Amino acid sequence: MEALETFIVESTVPEEGEAYKSIISDVISELVLGGAIGRIKAVIRPEDSLFQMAIILRGSQKPVKLSDFGEVGYGALEKKEIKITINEEKYLPPLLEKLWARYGRGNVRQPERRTVIVRQKGDLETEIEFLKEMVVADPKQTLLSRLVEMAIRSTPEGFRVRYHSMKDNFFIFVASEDSLKPEWIEEGHKILAELQEVE
Amino acid sequence: MAAVLEPYIYEGGIHKHTLITELLEDLGGYLIQKVPAATEVTLTMLIPREDVHLIEELGKKLLGTLTKAPLTGTEIAVVSPTLASHHLPHSACDVAEHLRRDGANTNMIGLARGMGRRVALSADYERRLINEHDLAVFSFGTFSDCIKNKKPKLLEGVNIPKVVTGGPELKTEEVAHADVYVGNIGRVAHRLRKSDEISSLDVMNQKVGEVVEKMREELAKDPLAVLPPRVMKEVHEQVPQIYEVLTPAPITLQLDGLRIKLPYGQFHEKIENLEFDEGIRLSELARITPSKMKNYILVKIKRESEVGFVI
Repeated sequence: MEALETFIVESTVPEEGEAYKSIISDVISELVLGGAIGRIKAVIRPEDSLFQMAIILRGSQKPVKLSDFGEVGYGALEKKEIKITINEEKYLPPLLEKLWARYGRGNVRQPERRTVIVRQKGDLETEIEFLKEMVVADPKQTLLSRLVEMAIRSTPEGFRVRYHSMKDNFFIFVASEDSLKPEWIEEGHKILAELQEVE
Repeated sequence: MAAVLEPYIYEGGIHKHTLITELLEDLGGYLIQKVPAATEVTLTMLIPREDVHLIEELGKKLLGTLTKAPLTGTEIAVVSPTLASHHLPHSACDVAEHLRRDGANTNMIGLARGMGRRVALSADYERRLINEHDLAVFSFGTFSDCIKNKKPKLLEGVNIPKVVTGGPELKTEEVAHADVYVGNIGRVAHRLRKSDEISSLDVMNQKVGEVVEKMREELAKDPLAVLPPRVMKEVHEQVPQIYEVLTPAPITLQLDGLRIKLPYGQFHEKIENLEFDEGIRLSELARITPSKMKNYILVKIKRESEVGFVI
């Protein structure tokens, strides 16, 4: 599936749907979701105070382990130190968080941009194995929160009664300012089914 | 009768800009606002009509530009349904910025419960705060159904002229209670900088300018007992504490009054006893009340028909 291969926004008045499409695309680019969304369709009926949206995500990304972006090896042996060399700096902040939580701030040093030294008391071998497998970032988790943020931002503001469903790569969002009618939610599911049929 | 004053904005370097303000003072004009920003300065001023060319020549020598600012001396409320990211910073802040370019002083007002359709409402306090301004610009969204049928209730109870901006192209008559409707400025999530967006903002400024012009004509029929800039000058001379106020516009001019950003309790007597050369006190010429905005002082100047003379 290509990124944003289907992007439809419908409204009672077609020009207003177009205008709303620009809002949604701004929100998507602001939250850097462009690459993650495959197909998206939103239907807005202002006279019913109704906003419906269905999204199909592109294949989910795997959790990032330390060994995916860095190497773990021996530091100064007599001090029982572990030396971590990283290739991608964007994961440094979550990595440091995790290391601080496990070893304490005083035992983690960063002598140089891409090098982190950990002083620890346990068995070197097992600690290194553990660190290699440690999950540092989970793009799926942040993706989900960004997706929810995107849904809330692109809904007209007063629509505070919301329904959402997230299953595998399928996301449905229905919002209104009145209590939601069951047929609206059904419609949301139909929109998703429609999107799935597009080949 | 005082000389006819014309509103202008001067933009130029901060170097030697005091030459301009000195000349302005000699000519009998008024400096309304001075905004220094690093090495640049923006001066909003009222210049006597026949002396504009003098300032223009001096400005040219200092490599600055002098442009007409038809909204100078007005305080405009830019009202957005709420302060949430749905409405701000775009487009409401862009609307406010564009109005300021023509010399207006703007206040952003976010209603507490203005969002939605059925649930949208405004509070008494908010309406009274909006009514303190010269004019209100309501920034609405994309859907004509909302603008026509649901949002006009936010305009109820606002007695000053109301300009409504929104996405669809509608006629003013279709929006109840609105004095002017300007289309193509609806809800957007980006800064308005494409040429068609800027030109709709220009249209808005022009329409707001027309409304203000009409209000000025109304005022001219029964003129104010004293010009607001003159009161401003007297405040500067007689209440030196105004120089300690840190807001961008310590005294904000309105068409028929001014807002003085000093605490009411401490300073209202001083303002009431402000004395003019003619031996008249301000309290005889104006109503001085606490403003709904913070703890400020609101001065609304009486008309000639009420006072019996003009100074």
